[in-house]
Amino acid sequence: MTAQSEIDEGLIEQALHWQTALESDDADWDGYMSWLEADTRHREAFDAVALVSAAVDEHKDAVRALVEARAGAQDGTERRRPGRKMWLWGGGAAAALALVAAVPMLRAPEMAVDYAADAGASRSLALAGGTHVMLSPQSRIVVHGKDATRIEMASGEAYFSVRHDPARSLTVQVGSYRITDIGTRFSVNISDGGFRVAVSEGAVGVSSEGADGEVRVTAGHQLMARQGDALALSPVAPEEIGSWRQGRLSYSNAPLSLVAADISRYSGKRIIVDPALEASHFSGTLVIGDGSRLLGDLAGVMDLSVRAENGGVRLGRAGGR
Amino acid sequence: MSGGEELGVEALYGLHQAELRRLLLARTGDLGEAEDLLQELWVRVRQRPAGPVANGRAYLFRMAQNMMVDRLRERQRRMARDRRWADQETDFAAPGIEPVDGHDNAEQQMIAREEVATLTSAIANLPGGARRAFELHKLEGLSHAEVAARLGISKSGVEKHMAVAMKYLRRALSDWGKG
Repeated sequence: MTAQSEIDEGLIEQALHWQTALESDDADWDGYMSWLEADTRHREAFDAVALVSAAVDEHKDAVRALVEARAGAQDGTERRRPGRKMWLWGGGAAAALALVAAVPMLRAPEMAVDYAADAGASRSLALAGGTHVMLSPQSRIVVHGKDATRIEMASGEAYFSVRHDPARSLTVQVGSYRITDIGTRFSVNISDGGFRVAVSEGAVGVSSEGADGEVRVTAGHQLMARQGDALALSPVAPEEIGSWRQGRLSYSNAPLSLVAADISRYSGKRIIVDPALEASHFSGTLVIGDGSRLLGDLAGVMDLSVRAENGGVRLGRAGGR
Repeated sequence: MSGGEELGVEALYGLHQAELRRLLLARTGDLGEAEDLLQELWVRVRQRPAGPVANGRAYLFRMAQNMMVDRLRERQRRMARDRRWADQETDFAAPGIEPVDGHDNAEQQMIAREEVATLTSAIANLPGGARRAFELHKLEGLSHAEVAARLGISKSGVEKHMAVAMKYLRRALSDWGKG
């Protein structure tokens, strides 16, 4: 097998022809063998066709789902067929997130450093290997290993700038999901309602421990998971990503639960989202300031009611309960 | 000769052994490997239920073809695994030592996942026409004629697109195996 040599397209076409022809009951096997024997490149071409076909057939469902998701994200439309959703992996995305806090403690005796930002201030970290992390207020990450190639997202939001280095790749663990990256800028947000990865430069791969396949998220896209749902890929304006570093919270069609979790971190108020609003999404920009006006602004823009409840506040439909 | 006389599969093997050897030799280009595959084919034939087989010659030829594909796939996975071992000496045991079962399983999943990612990204990077033809034919299961109708091109246009797609994907897969 000379796996690296180029094969002439004409020969591949002939091989494809034979592949189709051999499916028929009265296939011309003698003709096929003569064709193979005529030129050693013929069997290489046939190997190529057989190998690719077998690989695609074996992973057909996973590949199809990912190809569709990507196509949907790229034209900004969801190329769904009736009855098919763009969700990539089965439910339980967020359920796995609950485990995140326990994981770091269970790992082998490897160096792990905990970094947290308090309420009211973000924190900038320079890690080994040229990785720069900006932690949003009330956020925490755990950095593993002396070369900081594995980072665990524990709470809140962080913006990562990773220097391109082909010899080294950074992994960010978010619950049972794993984000892999070689040189890019992206933000990761985790809350008990789910998580979001948004890429402003380059691309990252996201894979799940429980599922096959990797989703590639390229610049200008975000991948979101909400409780009970699987992942959804959608476009996002790159300037919105990590905009909290400039004092703004910007969203493109983000689940209200995620927005509420962010505001909760900035305002220090516990926010309960009324189940009636579970399916609501928010697109727009909020000015952070000292965090105290975020909730009122959101409620104003979305026409929601805010009531005190159990030491926190409850967001509901205006005029509702 | 199309096996119309409904022989048992072992008898068919005897009848077609020489042809099967010719096929396997043409397919592998290596006499030793061809003999090896023929042996394996014989073992599999004997494991089949004894009843008659319709169109027995084509049946045996297909078995031989499938075995070849299985070998190619196995070889590819092994290369991918070897590459992973080379990449991750710290995480795994030294190369050459077989991992324990649980580990093996996780690694197989990882390799499958990588393969899916490789295919998906290679498909996304295909030239437009080749990508559409490939998706419709291989992923949606349309025939060449249906793909031609859908894309408003000739059947031979579809075949050309498919050839381009195969060439790209083959390179992507072998680069993946090679690391």
